[in-house]
Amino acid sequence: MAKPGFWAGLLIILLVLPLFIKSPYLIHIINMTFIYIILTVSFRTIMTSGQLPLAHAGFMGIGAYVSAIAAKWFGLTPWLSIPLGALVAMGVGILIGYPFARLRAVYYAMISLFFGMLILSAVKAFAKWTGGAAGLTAIPPLLGFSKVPYYYFFLGLTAVSLLVLYRLEISRPGVTWKAIAQSHLVAASVGINEARYRIIASAIGCLFAGIAGATYAHYNTVVGTTSFSFMATIMLLIYVVVGGVGSFIGPIVGVFLLMTVPELLRELREYVPYISAAIVLIVVFLMPKGVTGLVKSFLSWLAELWKSRRTSDAP
Amino acid sequence: MELAAGIFINVLILSAMYILVALGFALLFSIAGILHVSHGAIYTVSGYICWQLSQAAGINQWLALVLTVLIVGSFGLFLERFCFRPFTGDFDRSLVVGIGIILILQTTIVVTVGQESRSMSPFVAGILNAGPVSVSLERLVTFAIGAALLGVLVWFINNTKPGLQMRAMSQDLQGAIMQGININRVSAIAVVIACASAAVAGCLMGAYINLNPFMGDVVLGKALILVILGGMGSMTGIFYAGLLLGALDATLPVFFSGSVAEVIAMGAIIVVLLFRPTGFLGRAIA
Repeated sequence: MAKPGFWAGLLIILLVLPLFIKSPYLIHIINMTFIYIILTVSFRTIMTSGQLPLAHAGFMGIGAYVSAIAAKWFGLTPWLSIPLGALVAMGVGILIGYPFARLRAVYYAMISLFFGMLILSAVKAFAKWTGGAAGLTAIPPLLGFSKVPYYYFFLGLTAVSLLVLYRLEISRPGVTWKAIAQSHLVAASVGINEARYRIIASAIGCLFAGIAGATYAHYNTVVGTTSFSFMATIMLLIYVVVGGVGSFIGPIVGVFLLMTVPELLRELREYVPYISAAIVLIVVFLMPKGVTGLVKSFLSWLAELWKSRRTSDAP
Repeated sequence: MELAAGIFINVLILSAMYILVALGFALLFSIAGILHVSHGAIYTVSGYICWQLSQAAGINQWLALVLTVLIVGSFGLFLERFCFRPFTGDFDRSLVVGIGIILILQTTIVVTVGQESRSMSPFVAGILNAGPVSVSLERLVTFAIGAALLGVLVWFINNTKPGLQMRAMSQDLQGAIMQGININRVSAIAVVIACASAAVAGCLMGAYINLNPFMGDVVLGKALILVILGGMGSMTGIFYAGLLLGALDATLPVFFSGSVAEVIAMGAIIVVLLFRPTGFLGRAIA
């Protein structure tokens, strides 16, 4: 992450990319990739604090439905309803954070899983407002119906979100989260307020999940319950594990490999899940630390080789 | 009175179905510590195999059920050796392998049979009239098989040598190894039993409700609720959890509309778990 030149170059390439891509469908795939990068990286942010938030897609749903309902039924402009949706998602995250902080590890994962299911059944119960299982249609779009303006919007949003989440991870809260994840007893013994930092982690994660959900609603203009289900959350976990849990760019690699690549191979139709399954199984059997883990050990192996070559040449 | 009797019978039958579906999942989760996410997919595939054997190959349906159990049971051996054993104790990666299996199984169904739902003829036709209530024989058979399987499994775990070894493994893996227990063999037995019971459930439920490639997802959710509520590490716990879930699902829709009932049921489960995170009869793990 330490090479500013690399990131500036990448940003310039991404800025001029739409000039060369003429297919709106391809732009659509890239936009969806941006949304899922925000979602998955924020998922991993909560994971670094030792919590497995299996309601994460549900929080995306809270953001999406709150924002869509505010804009569609109450006539709020999407520019205000999106922050509203994100803040409601964060508020719910904080509210359940207090009671859920009693539970750790598997128990936390399970209770958050059930909370995700609760969100989904609540969406179905208020079908009058949410459209129920059939989905909510005709949500006011944020930037019209062309795909390219959204590309720049999501590019900016993703860049800002990643910057915020990365700064958090390398600063004091991030280090504190990692300490709690390694041992909550040791963390408490050096004066860390475990519950407080865990609630902060889930509040931040839920905020970004809400942002991703709300922007998704006003980009897609149609939302259905399947995008926010238990299986959707499990897929987020798969993206993180395939990319590499230990690395900040891991989730980004995972989203690219498992969401973007299968979308690009859409001509294979019903055979596409085989591609995803193959990627998942290859990574899990051959790369114990995910794709980024493998790249990292390959790079350090190269560096070792280079160093030993230099020392043997020296005399 | 008739309403009450009807509700009571519905509670029993729904509970038995939930227990039947969750049995194998609970066994693997409590004994071998495997979160068997592909349980639902195996259940679905079993339904389809039974349907193919009985409808396309024209085998007697009960024989088809037995054949399915054998096929899926041996698939369990393969699963244990190549998918679970390499990842013992690695929660994240074993979950990912499970998702890979789900993707492959579901896609295979979609590619070979198609997305539309299929109907299988019932194992037993007919309706039993007992006083004010009438129950279809098929539901009674499902109930009886679910109850019998649970009984046999509890007996197996409490009274046989492999069962004893499983309990030893779930309490202390290192200790079990030092006592000379062949843990690979024992977990292979557990996986085969789990797959076989998923196969029984898949065939019976496939005949009861229609077959569809994604019917396993619902089952996975129900199984998870049952196991967590009953308590990890306890097989009798899932009996009580099944009764509770069956009672909630059979009575709440009488008073509320479907999805409101679901919200209340999920809320009740979350509150129970907040105060008793280990479930009814579970013990703390890790």
